Amino acid sequence: MEKVGAVMVVGAGIGGSQTSLDLADSGYKVYLIESSTSIGGVMAQLDKTFPTNDCAMCIVSPKLVETGRHQNIDLSINCVIEDVSGEAGNFIVKVRKKSLFINPDKCTGCGVCGRECPIEAIDIFNEKLAKYGATSVKYPQAVPLLYAINREVCIGCGICYGVCKAKAVEYDREDEVVDINVGAVVLSPGFDEFIPEEANLYGYGKYKNVVTSIEFERILSASGPYSGRVLRPSDGDIPEKVAFLQCIGSRDYSGVGKPYCSSVCCMYTAKEAVIAHEHMHQIKPTIFSMDVRAYGKDFDKYIIRAQKQYGVQYIRSRVSSIKEVPETKDLRLKYETQDGKIIEEDFHMVVLAVGLNPPDDAKYLAEKFGVELNQYDFAKTDLLNPVQTTKPGIFACGAFSSPKDIPDTVTQASAAAGCVNQLLYEKKGTLITEKSLPPEIFVRGQPPRIGVFICHCGINIGGFLDVPEVTRYAKTLPNVVMSDRNLYTCSADTQTIIKEKVQEYNLNRVIVASCTPRTHEPLFQETIREAGLNRYLFQMANIRDQCSWVHMNDWEAATNKAKDLVRMAVNKARQIEPIERIKLSVTPKALVVGGGISGMVAALNFASQEYETYLVEKEKELGGFAKHIYHTLEGADIQVYVKELIDKIKANKNIHVFTEAQMENIDGYIGNFKSSVIHGEKKERTEFSHGVVVVATGAKEYQPKEFLFGQNENVILQSEFERLLNETDQIKNKKSIVMIQCVGSRNDEHPYCSKMCCAEAIKNALLAKELNPDLEVTILFRDIRTYGFKEQYYRKAREAGVIFIQYDENNPPKINSDLKVEVLTPRNDKIYISTDWLVLSAGIYSDREENEELAKMLKIPLNDDSFFLEAHVKLRPVDFATEGVFIAGIAHCPKTIEDSISQANAAVSRACTILSKDEIEAEGKTARIDITRCIGCGMCIENCAYNAIELVDDRRFGTVASINQVLCKGCGACSGNCRCSAIDILGFTGEQIFEMITGRI
Amino acid sequence: MTVQTEESKSSNEDWKPKIIAFLCNWCSYAGADLAGVSRIQYPPSIRIVRVPCSGRVNPYFIIKSLTDGWDGVLISGCHPGDCHYLTGNLVARRRFAILNELLQFFGIEPGRVNFMWASAAEGERFAMLVRKATSIVKKLGPNNKFEKKW
Amino acid sequence: MSFEPKLLGFLCNWCSYAGADLAGVSRIQYPPNMRVIRVMCSGRIDPKFIVQALELGIDGVYVMGCHIGDCHYLEGNYEAVKKYEMTREFLKLVGLDNRIRLDWVSASEGVRFGEVVSKFVNDIKELGPSPLSGDSPDKDLINKVRAIRLAAGSNRMRALVGRERKITEEDNVYGEKYPLEKYKEIMSQAIIEEYERHRILIALEDESKSVKSLASELSVDPSIILEHILTLKGRAQVDFQEIIKNTPIYMRRE
Repeated sequence: MEKVGAVMVVGAGIGGSQTSLDLADSGYKVYLIESSTSIGGVMAQLDKTFPTNDCAMCIVSPKLVETGRHQNIDLSINCVIEDVSGEAGNFIVKVRKKSLFINPDKCTGCGVCGRECPIEAIDIFNEKLAKYGATSVKYPQAVPLLYAINREVCIGCGICYGVCKAKAVEYDREDEVVDINVGAVVLSPGFDEFIPEEANLYGYGKYKNVVTSIEFERILSASGPYSGRVLRPSDGDIPEKVAFLQCIGSRDYSGVGKPYCSSVCCMYTAKEAVIAHEHMHQIKPTIFSMDVRAYGKDFDKYIIRAQKQYGVQYIRSRVSSIKEVPETKDLRLKYETQDGKIIEEDFHMVVLAVGLNPPDDAKYLAEKFGVELNQYDFAKTDLLNPVQTTKPGIFACGAFSSPKDIPDTVTQASAAAGCVNQLLYEKKGTLITEKSLPPEIFVRGQPPRIGVFICHCGINIGGFLDVPEVTRYAKTLPNVVMSDRNLYTCSADTQTIIKEKVQEYNLNRVIVASCTPRTHEPLFQETIREAGLNRYLFQMANIRDQCSWVHMNDWEAATNKAKDLVRMAVNKARQIEPIERIKLSVTPKALVVGGGISGMVAALNFASQEYETYLVEKEKELGGFAKHIYHTLEGADIQVYVKELIDKIKANKNIHVFTEAQMENIDGYIGNFKSSVIHGEKKERTEFSHGVVVVATGAKEYQPKEFLFGQNENVILQSEFERLLNETDQIKNKKSIVMIQCVGSRNDEHPYCSKMCCAEAIKNALLAKELNPDLEVTILFRDIRTYGFKEQYYRKAREAGVIFIQYDENNPPKINSDLKVEVLTPRNDKIYISTDWLVLSAGIYSDREENEELAKMLKIPLNDDSFFLEAHVKLRPVDFATEGVFIAGIAHCPKTIEDSISQANAAVSRACTILSKDEIEAEGKTARIDITRCIGCGMCIENCAYNAIELVDDRRFGTVASINQVLCKGCGACSGNCRCSAIDILGFTGEQIFEMITGRI
Repeated sequence: MTVQTEESKSSNEDWKPKIIAFLCNWCSYAGADLAGVSRIQYPPSIRIVRVPCSGRVNPYFIIKSLTDGWDGVLISGCHPGDCHYLTGNLVARRRFAILNELLQFFGIEPGRVNFMWASAAEGERFAMLVRKATSIVKKLGPNNKFEKKW
Repeated sequence: MSFEPKLLGFLCNWCSYAGADLAGVSRIQYPPNMRVIRVMCSGRIDPKFIVQALELGIDGVYVMGCHIGDCHYLEGNYEAVKKYEMTREFLKLVGLDNRIRLDWVSASEGVRFGEVVSKFVNDIKELGPSPLSGDSPDKDLINKVRAIRLAAGSNRMRALVGRERKITEEDNVYGEKYPLEKYKEIMSQAIIEEYERHRILIALEDESKSVKSLASELSVDPSIILEHILTLKGRAQVDFQEIIKNTPIYMRRE
């Protein structure tokens, strides 16, 4: 069967959106299928995100808007998958688009229907904490902003039909069933949270002040039902003592919950505690936890901050019971402390940190798509490629394959796109359509002829201010040659009217006074472009969201304000000029720095898409640290895998491998890098050009100074122990092994978790036990961080008789020269263990010097621990702020081999969004420098977060700043600080803003 | 001619100040939109100018606003750490810390120029900030520091 | 002196009013306690009229229209029933439901008119004066009845009562007949909710209050008051004012 250059993405949460954007930007047609009525998934429900406390809505909503209006993404909401046939490269998927009973082409999202609906339905988005009409949109910033009728609660009164001025309500609207032909499928349906009600755990559902973490998230949200004030549902008071209970429905072998660890709860609980305290300073959070699993990048620092800065108290205990105090509705918690005391304590509110369950429709989807699920009903994936399902051509990303946080989801989303790229690269660009547009009318230097279109927005504007008066007023403003008003300026017929008016009046500037440019500017820009005007000859006055809706009771003042806003827009419009977007060619080649697993996977992926790739490795051999690893905890054979990779690379003619190599220089920018490398025994120098860079330089194992390492030959590192187990049979005659965890991790100098050591220790302990069942294995730990499905091996190790003893950071185990280990238990008992080998789980350290050098070359930042710092911790975990440069593997932060492979594929996918284009177009609204005014002070360079500015020598003006138009994002930080006003921002020039300020007629 | 008519300058009870607001596109402008979508009412005193980032706001804009007769100026960006352009709001914060002192040196009363943060989810907070700024400026009275006195 | 109730009658022009006239022409004697307001159709009688009359201290309100099937405007009296039923359900909340009555009197039933009016007068006499009559009626009860008047006049209630017949007797917009029982449930729920919400609004008129103090004032569970406050905030009728100690205070928005 012939392959098809289209992809279906099922589930439009943050993962699905990212996959779709990556693929659409790489030249594939994407069908994004969502089962609910808007995209964004759980992330849109969150208040803040850890570990940066970023506002979730602020960071996710631009991404959703982008997804919603991408010309290569066909977004369908309210869908069900009915049938799937075909095979990798060519699937046919039957999709039922369930009726919304509202015509999506006509609905403007104004919301009048919801306000007039007499039925109050429970608002699911706000976790049942608020009420909504049967006609509703999920949340105010929803994409697409379409109202839908909830047929389950609708009584069919017909009021919404009457009040909808856009005539969008169609009660007889039927489901639509379509067959979609795609080459690959990415499944990203996310997860469903564990609902404690079912098991009646801890009084949830019975006691009003016991809420789940996701409900608490809505309580915290500024746009949530309580407007961000933390209140008790029982009486609306602010709770002072709030208890957070971890592992609700996770790590639970009783059968009520799930046996695996949900991976994210420790961190989101810490975040919720911190944010609660931040919102309401009187709140004193207490967290009841088992192990604190802060295994991700900068997570441990967050936990420390929560405790020290925000006074969050951690108690290591599982609460045994909760009872409500009837008079106060407070909650009485009973728990046992680590030293064995039973305590009863009252709290004002309890938050249950509920775990992540597989999505409710996991089985349905698995059956339809013919993929297998694992023992927990999550998608079963390849041991070493966590986005590959059991069926070729069908990939999974995000929480569908295992519980995971946002950055891991986004990484996997890109990784899935990377794998799709590998499968369908020949068909890239075959199914996307490009619009043919008329040539742009030349308007430069002509006197402005401004047309103003004022929107009634049904009654949303016209009902609260005098639109005809504003229209008359607009007409009196200088250079305005026509003004007109429309019922809905955004409707399809008005677009035709605008185009006609542009011709009729010979307009060269267009203003629409209506809603917000954040959602509607692109639509009108497209319209005037179709009419032959440059997209930037457009201005918007926001007289709805920021005028009529917020001054509903003051007709006159609202009208005056609308007039002012229109006048300000006209004043600006008089100053605007067409902006050309700069285009740059792209060198379709890649540079990968680092020849470990991540680097090799990335290089092979590039090469298999026939991009010429340069792979640079500092050692003599490829393979990196993986050479010391034999198996993963889950049982994948790493030695075989690495050997295969090396063989494939050697056989691939598209890959140029440099060993014993070091980058000498990397010059240039996105799409156009020029680099040189010194390589081989003879230190040869090779120069080449490339369009993208993937940084995969890895990290190293800490060489401890503590615990007699290096002094006693029986004190060994975990990696050496692994070698001894796999290569020798010395374990057979040993009696006792002690392992110490967190050696060189989670201390003052290296305040991070190395993530892999717990899994490594358990893996080796299990193997040692298997080889020598009489062996006594003791693991001394601080927290066991076997997150996700790794939890099962922790349990297995306990069952196999491995002894786990917790120690405190401040009282580390002591060793004497006979290898007798002294450890202080949490109950303050001293225990002595004799051991044959003392195995140290040494942390993962970055190579500071090496990383600093590369960071300087690429103008990319490092974090405090000298790992590379990505562009955005949550949503751009593979990118750097410097465009065209990507990160993969443990150079980013400690992570597992599977995650490194995912990130390598993700880096390729991100890079392909650039390499797949012949030329890249830069955003037009960027900074420009007037070199006649620039004195070359360099202040702007420091202010630029994108490294878009550099100093150059000009023949006439000496040293001046120069802005790389491709790298510039147009934020204007440079301009505001320029002491000689040499920098201006196109689209937001000083002149334009001054005109708005002066308000002159 | 400047923004205000003579009539509106009278400092009686009914006097309504005019405040110009520079809002960053990604957080505060979106927050103002959310206030609208949520129908949260606030005084009709402000006129909003959209800028890509609070870092774009040149000190000149603020001074120009005051000399042109606006009674108050309000600048709002993303919360520290939330900037769409990574660090633009931090650049703005440093800049305005200095500008604030300069303005006081000029004799501009504290409160006439307000710097603040509002996120895209904080519609209610945005409305609250506008109410607060309006009441402060109202107490200060019309901005006539820059009127020619001869 | 024995109690002489003050009664108000809303009579439709074509049947009941004519019936009353006929009673006069026929010189039928009945007690003089009822004052009559003529309306064109019983369907015109807004629940607000009835409740306002009670609020002003009237001891009883009589609603009269044509017999079912005889309406001059075809179906006005069917609508009257629905509105009357809703009003009664509202008034049940304050125990005033037995002070209103609905009856059909045709143009030819002069005698019957006299009879039913006499009976109503007697019944109300037995009930005694309305707690809202006299010089110093119970302020709390006045507020409750006011809340009923406002709730009964709210968009939501008017929408529900106005569509009830169409939806439950003919078909709704999807061409289905909505089960009456389910509709009644929705109505009852809405009646209680809107009553409580308007009581909150009235309670906040003089001073701002917390959820807890509203709860004890209205004898409603605080968690329900909190839900109502959220809804009223969404309708821009209530606003958060300040936090005193750990308790948020809410105010009425004009």
